[in-house]
Amino acid sequence: MVPNTLTVLYDSTCALCVRCRDWLSKQEAFVPMRFIACGSAEARATYGAVPWLGEELVVVSDYGDVWAGPAAFITALWALREWREWSYRISGPELAPLAQRFINAISSNRRSISALIVPDPCEGDACRVPRAYR
Amino acid sequence: METLYLVPVYAVYATVTLALTVFLARTLSRNGAVFLEDVFKDSPKLGDAVNRLLVVGFYLVNLGYGALIMKATGAATVVEAVEVLAWKLGALLMSLAFMHFVNLYVFYRIRRRSRIAQLPPPIAPQMQLQAQYGTSMPHAFAPNAAMPVAR
Repeated sequence: MVPNTLTVLYDSTCALCVRCRDWLSKQEAFVPMRFIACGSAEARATYGAVPWLGEELVVVSDYGDVWAGPAAFITALWALREWREWSYRISGPELAPLAQRFINAISSNRRSISALIVPDPCEGDACRVPRAYR
Repeated sequence: METLYLVPVYAVYATVTLALTVFLARTLSRNGAVFLEDVFKDSPKLGDAVNRLLVVGFYLVNLGYGALIMKATGAATVVEAVEVLAWKLGALLMSLAFMHFVNLYVFYRIRRRSRIAQLPPPIAPQMQLQAQYGTSMPHAFAPNAAMPVAR
């Protein structure tokens, strides 16, 4: 089933992820997306059954389909007007392994990358870091 | 340069240019309409308008270019006149062909853009939550072949 809306469960404690969320929300989309911090009470209450919650990017469709990790990144790209073609391209047989490694590398190093690009990422409430997440 | 045969060259050239442009524009609009009908299903009027605008642009570019390259320096003999004419018609046909393919490409892009909006996500979901998310059900666990999630 083709999703009508997507819920993106992102890591609000990582500056890189917050930037990516901002970028995503500014793009023109075929499918509207709503963003929920994966550590929030709402996310835990509603999507607690998703085993990857908090570890990987998770995207959930309005039909309850769940994508996690690289598949979630690509599904988020798929929602965007300008990037839908690329979502098919990089999930094809030639580029998929590369894309997957790239996304995994970014995702698992997101804290160190955040530290590199933003010396002080946490202004305001959006990026308050619970100790456990550092 | 002797210009004895220039007038007949111009006459033939102008006639062929007009005829070709009209013929191609009509072909284009007739067959392009099929593409546009598919793309603008919900607003056929818009499809017609786009088609007409494309044809007008086609006329403008081709007639303009045809007029620009009409001037010849001379044609003293029949052979020379034929050569001049052939050169000009060749240039005109090339420009028409180019425009034609540009138009086809535009139709193709328009159609593809409208089709891509309907396509499903490239990767099958890895899990299915129950409709209202409340009670969860991690059944149908099908890690995708194209891109399994690395844990």
